[in-house]
Amino acid sequence: MRAWLCAAGGFLWSAAALCAVDPGAGTAPRTEFLAPAAGTYHLERIQPTADGVLLDVSARTRHLTEFTHGKITLLTFFYTNCEDPLGCPFAYVTLSQLRARVLAQPSLTSAVRFVNVSLDPLHDTPPVIQSYAKHFGADPHFEWSFLTSASIANLLPVLDDFGQDVSLQTDEHGHATKLLHHMLKVFLIDREGTVREIYSLAYLQPDVMLNDIQTLAMERSATAQR
Amino acid sequence: MSSRHPIPSLVAAAFLTIAGSLTPALADETCNSPYMVNLIKGQEDYVHVWTLGVENLGDGSDKLVTLDANPHSKTYGHVINQVSVGGRGEAHHMGFTDDRKYLWAGNLDDSKIFVFDVGTDPAKPKLVRTITDLTAKTGFVGPHTFYAMPGRLMIGSLSNSRDRGGVTGLAVYNNKGGFVAKYDIPTTTLQGVKGDGYGYDLAINPAKNVMLTSSFAGAQNYMRNLGEVVKDAEAMKHFGNTMVVWNLKTMQPTQVLSVPGAPLEIRWGLAPGQDWAITATALTSKLWLIKQAGGQWQAKEVGTIGDPAKIPLPVDISIAADGKGLWINTFMDGTTHYFDISDPEHPHETFQQHTGAQVNMVSQSWDGKRIYITSSLLSQWDKTGADNEQFLRAYNWDGHALKPAFAVDFTKEKLGRPHHMKFSAKAAQQVALASAEVPRN
Repeated sequence: MRAWLCAAGGFLWSAAALCAVDPGAGTAPRTEFLAPAAGTYHLERIQPTADGVLLDVSARTRHLTEFTHGKITLLTFFYTNCEDPLGCPFAYVTLSQLRARVLAQPSLTSAVRFVNVSLDPLHDTPPVIQSYAKHFGADPHFEWSFLTSASIANLLPVLDDFGQDVSLQTDEHGHATKLLHHMLKVFLIDREGTVREIYSLAYLQPDVMLNDIQTLAMERSATAQR
Repeated sequence: MSSRHPIPSLVAAAFLTIAGSLTPALADETCNSPYMVNLIKGQEDYVHVWTLGVENLGDGSDKLVTLDANPHSKTYGHVINQVSVGGRGEAHHMGFTDDRKYLWAGNLDDSKIFVFDVGTDPAKPKLVRTITDLTAKTGFVGPHTFYAMPGRLMIGSLSNSRDRGGVTGLAVYNNKGGFVAKYDIPTTTLQGVKGDGYGYDLAINPAKNVMLTSSFAGAQNYMRNLGEVVKDAEAMKHFGNTMVVWNLKTMQPTQVLSVPGAPLEIRWGLAPGQDWAITATALTSKLWLIKQAGGQWQAKEVGTIGDPAKIPLPVDISIAADGKGLWINTFMDGTTHYFDISDPEHPHETFQQHTGAQVNMVSQSWDGKRIYITSSLLSQWDKTGADNEQFLRAYNWDGHALKPAFAVDFTKEKLGRPHHMKFSAKAAQQVALASAEVPRN
């Protein structure tokens, strides 16, 4: 049984109340075009990624480079209290759909990973993200890692490196709330750790993302052949 | 949706309930990149003005001038900050990064790009980086349009270093200032129309995966006295007459459109379903509509601005958030026009007012209640003598008349020639993540 943990309107939804429904058209920004065929275009080398010191769900210290090299990676930032339906939940819907497509292609299954890094290490402790990951990300056939940080000081350099903005939302008294302002971005990273695409809402579409993954895989094959 | 990884129904319900109100607008303050965050849909607090330095006026340097635009502020209508960049390089246009924290400002002559931090304190922008390798990396000259994309900016240029003519291209830099890629504006024939390779503005429709570029002239024309250019028949042949349709995802040009007379600013209709764009041609004084028909994009002349025989020189345009109105400034006669474009196939002028001896840029607030106008076009094209007014004038618009709100005389204030404007606002109900020390309730 899977659960989607999302504090929305102050409620934590449990798996028992949930069932499988496609969110359907109209929930996302319009995409009225066919995704260009894989391999017919080049993905820019937008920026390198640096290392960072993070924690996995077992509270083990991990280097970010373990999760940004060696496979084609989709990395996004999240926090478990996120309640903007076009924020973290939208990313999960899209990534879930994409995972199904990747799993349908055996040659890609072991070549691709997803990584979620928490923006809220004070709340999203290893046990919290372990619970989150166990219910949502677990799949024996696919690598989907959830990470957090030991401190905000450890997180900030990672955010700065990726150019991921985030701030605390305050209440009418100026006190920080549990909500964060952040711009949804999903980073496509090649095996060498270079960011090759950044998906915001406009391009967060499984067909486009799958073709980008395949384009990177074909790029690798072409290099190997040479 | 795969049943293997189900999506909970309540989440889906939340999507369906809220998505309608949260679907991102296609642009902010009506003419910026659709990839930008933090739309200012209410009152802007500040107007940043990228200003050309004038010799023997103040420090003589190009500078970013910040005005207080909030009528509830004690310094409303006044210059509250200026950041000189040292030297004159033909300051022209600006654009925000996608997170709206940085403002990139370009020079058309020396091709420098200045990056200002406007996120930390928008009342006091700080110069944090100067990019000087555009020409070395691309061969392009004159960075003009700065268009936010996720994590990077697409920069439309005007010229090239080989002959300083109009053949140019697009450059991509990441938000940290690193060069990423370059793309040439096509000179080949696409869909039956030969490209001229010229560039000017760019604008993206993400839903259609389409980017449009327009075309102006090279440095040999825009850095030359306008009176001389107009009298030089050969020089007058070197203006752009095309627009290009690009597949944004692949960055491949797919069509060249014939749009004679130097099509300048491009504005997509902003309301859902308005999958058309509009532009104005500087030399022929026409409005052109770019719209899809039968799977192809087509450019169609749909209106006239002033009397083309008098060459009013339409320059900047600003589209209303609902896509039903368009402000147009004509430089030579100093007139600000308002066109009803409810039917974009048949725009018609409903208002005009003389707003200065020369007027160039026009920017409107998202709610359409305020417009701001600046005077300078190019250092070599601005008028001389008494007509060389240099100002920013702010107006309130009630749908019938422009009522002056405030004005700043940039010559009297020893600032220079005011050109492009961008708005910013104080961060509302947000504090930095670094200030969090304990879990929050």
